[in-house]
Amino acid sequence: MVEIASVSPMSTIAATARRHKAAVRSSYDERSALLFVLPFAIVLFAVAVFPILYSFYISLYSLRLTRPNRVPFVGFGNYVTVLSDPQFWEAVQRTVVFSVMAVAATAIIGLLIALLLNEEFPGRRVLSALLLIPWAIPSVANGLMWKWIYDSNYGALNGALLQLGFINSYMVWLGDANKTLALIANAFVWKEVPLAAILLLVGMKTIPADLYSAAKVDGADAVRRFFHVTLPALGPSFALVMIYETMMAIRHFDLFFLLTEGGPGDASHVVAWRIYVETFRNLSFGTGAAMSYILALATLALAYIVIRMLTRRV
Amino acid sequence: MAAMDDSVPIAPSRGRAAKGAGFARTGRAILIAASSLLLLGYILAPMAWLVSSSIQSEREIVSKPPHWIPHEPTIGNFAAIFASRESAVTYETRRSRDPASGGFIPSTAKNLLPSLANSFIVASLVVILNLLIGVPAAYAMAKIRFRGRQASIYGILATRVIPDIALVVPFFLFIRNLGLLDHLSSLVITYLAVTVPFSVFILINYFESLPDELDKAARVDGCSRWQTLTKVFLPLATPSIVAVILFAFLASWNEFLLALMFTQTPQSQTLPIVIASFTSDFTISFSFINAAGVIAVIPPVALAIVFERYIVSGLTAGAVKG
Repeated sequence: MVEIASVSPMSTIAATARRHKAAVRSSYDERSALLFVLPFAIVLFAVAVFPILYSFYISLYSLRLTRPNRVPFVGFGNYVTVLSDPQFWEAVQRTVVFSVMAVAATAIIGLLIALLLNEEFPGRRVLSALLLIPWAIPSVANGLMWKWIYDSNYGALNGALLQLGFINSYMVWLGDANKTLALIANAFVWKEVPLAAILLLVGMKTIPADLYSAAKVDGADAVRRFFHVTLPALGPSFALVMIYETMMAIRHFDLFFLLTEGGPGDASHVVAWRIYVETFRNLSFGTGAAMSYILALATLALAYIVIRMLTRRV
Repeated sequence: MAAMDDSVPIAPSRGRAAKGAGFARTGRAILIAASSLLLLGYILAPMAWLVSSSIQSEREIVSKPPHWIPHEPTIGNFAAIFASRESAVTYETRRSRDPASGGFIPSTAKNLLPSLANSFIVASLVVILNLLIGVPAAYAMAKIRFRGRQASIYGILATRVIPDIALVVPFFLFIRNLGLLDHLSSLVITYLAVTVPFSVFILINYFESLPDELDKAARVDGCSRWQTLTKVFLPLATPSIVAVILFAFLASWNEFLLALMFTQTPQSQTLPIVIASFTSDFTISFSFINAAGVIAVIPPVALAIVFERYIVSGLTAGAVKG
């Protein structure tokens, strides 16, 4: 807004006029701006600056609530402990498997939904309103809903598969270590898909229509137009969806708590769950903080790499 | 798929081309109808199963194969939630309450109503504080040039990248040292921290889309900065304010991780926490848990459907720059 305004000659005159008054105005503006922003700045400090610094500070100490009076400084000892623990790396592996499944499925299903809603047809408005339901409900409701669907004795999944003839007898779902991560990812995807679809739909709406008519004149059919016009033009929106959903998947905790508590065995023991167990069950705040710090840095690095990769290709 | 329709016949053999276009149009209609139904099923089937099993009795919920549509629908589970306050449900009394099924109503059912109230109180306070803190800050960042403006905007961006699970350790120690564990205020403070940056983001976007001339005109007419904000910009900002109210409310209503850390007793537990405590108890009937789930789902679903436009525009505004 500001940039555009400064180009037009009218506002250049206004700017010159303002500069004369600036000496009088700006100190008042500075003061009122400060007052307006101050409460927000305090909150921002409390949420961003302070926790990051404090968390780093804690991660340098061996803080265990089981012995609150002795808190020795251990430097980077907690980081060494965490990073040299093979169980941590197994958790990292599970987080990666979960995130890849979840993000890929979210992006693909989101894209299909966006393609559908980009068309004009009766009932489209109703459909896009209903699409918000999974996004809006509490993750706890989502968790208990899927836990009940997956229930091995009375759940809907077994019932439906049996009635449709896909299985001959009821099966164990969440309790099967080979299926757990995929089933949790499915519940995650169901809730995340609406946002992905909305963001991709916005991206599609900004593609100029003459790109399509040009492609049509060149004889490109609908499939070709999708791969040569829609997909390349969606690059930035796709990047946004992938980054956002990756960040959400890596940090995801609620469903692991509600559906499996890390089980069966260690099958769904991901990094986020490990941070919770280490901090609030083992009461080892130092290593918990070190692990959260590693997770936060990994998230940042990953976001950066994805942005670099996708912007270079486009 | 994006531009499958309006294929105008250019070829000289008009009859055949028109016929082809007709086929394409029917094909498109079938494809759209089929995928709409698929999408509808994908979204609604899990929810329908949740609702259907919430109105089944304990006896019916264990049928194999499941009754997709209840044969004997009952509101017993909901009645138990809303009646549980008058007489405490214990192991002895819960059977007499639903003799046919031996209803598995947990003794913690009486915590549901207070937790519903807690959720409403926390969400409302967070909404109000979001507006009080967010609106002036967003106005200043969008319309006033001052030192530190750029830094504040980067600060907002930074908060959106930090995982909430990484904030749990410092937040917990912070809240404990303030002596606020198990108080509703611990939730209000931390939810504020999580929601305010996004609210300011939406508001900045909106204020920036309003012309600077409004600001100048109001200032020339002798309005103070505060008057310019409250008398000129605020009345114009309704859509973004509705979006802020919705997002802050939904985020607080749905939040789980922080509430799990900070609340210990029914005096501060919110609805998600009480429901989560049911899911780990194997003696509780799933039909009862699902009834509690339905209650937790109704307010956000109603808001999402009624205010769909505001939510979508807020999400996209937040995404464009985030």
